[in-house]
Amino acid sequence: MEDNMAAGASNAHDDDDDDNYIREQERLMLPIANVGRIMKQILPPNTKISKEAKETMQDCVSEFISFVTCEASEKCRKERRKTVNGDDVCWALETLGFDEYAGPMKRYLHRYSEHDQADHRANQEKG
Amino acid sequence: MRQAGIYSGILAGGRTGPHLLPLARIKKIMKKSGDNVNMISGEAPIVFSKACELFIEELTRRSWMVAMQRKRRTLHKEDVASAVITTDIFDFLVNLVSADSTNPTPFASVAMETVLESS
Repeated sequence: MEDNMAAGASNAHDDDDDDNYIREQERLMLPIANVGRIMKQILPPNTKISKEAKETMQDCVSEFISFVTCEASEKCRKERRKTVNGDDVCWALETLGFDEYAGPMKRYLHRYSEHDQADHRANQEKG
Repeated sequence: MRQAGIYSGILAGGRTGPHLLPLARIKKIMKKSGDNVNMISGEAPIVFSKACELFIEELTRRSWMVAMQRKRRTLHKEDVASAVITTDIFDFLVNLVSADSTNPTPFASVAMETVLESS
């Protein structure tokens, strides 16, 4: 620890990046930069977010994924299915009280599916 | 086959718009969630990438309301903790936000407490 501090002054930025990276890999979290960006987009322009708040959000998101995934995979287990699919995740979200997300998510998937349908038609015309 | 199409369309495209969160990392977190998590379809992490974005937005919005009540322009960890505690659907996070910074995993700390109490 002392060695880091001795070299610290000029490498402060690198140390932060390293720390973030280690933390994210060891505890399996989404990158703080991505999380911070989403938070910032929602807040008014002249506001700040403490690093601790971003780290707490990282923890919460990982916990959210685990929480919902467990519910979805339990449903699969009961139905004797091996693969957790998108519908299972949607179902788990609604079951756990995140039903407000269902609308935007279905629009999101529909947007990608439209793109997919357009590709499919294009491919069929070629073939 | 629509499901496979969505996933490959996004991988091949990029013009469908970038995801805000890395899909491979989401998948790793899903796999680590429990023993009975076997296989994960291609679109499940994609569904999560949107759901996580909405989750972050909601928790941030609520945390910000707390910060404003406290007349601050900087969002702090305590604001996030308050938002968690006062929102029913975030109950699963209560232990996480009130745990020590040295031991943030709620399931681990709850399990440890149970072991210590029974011994």
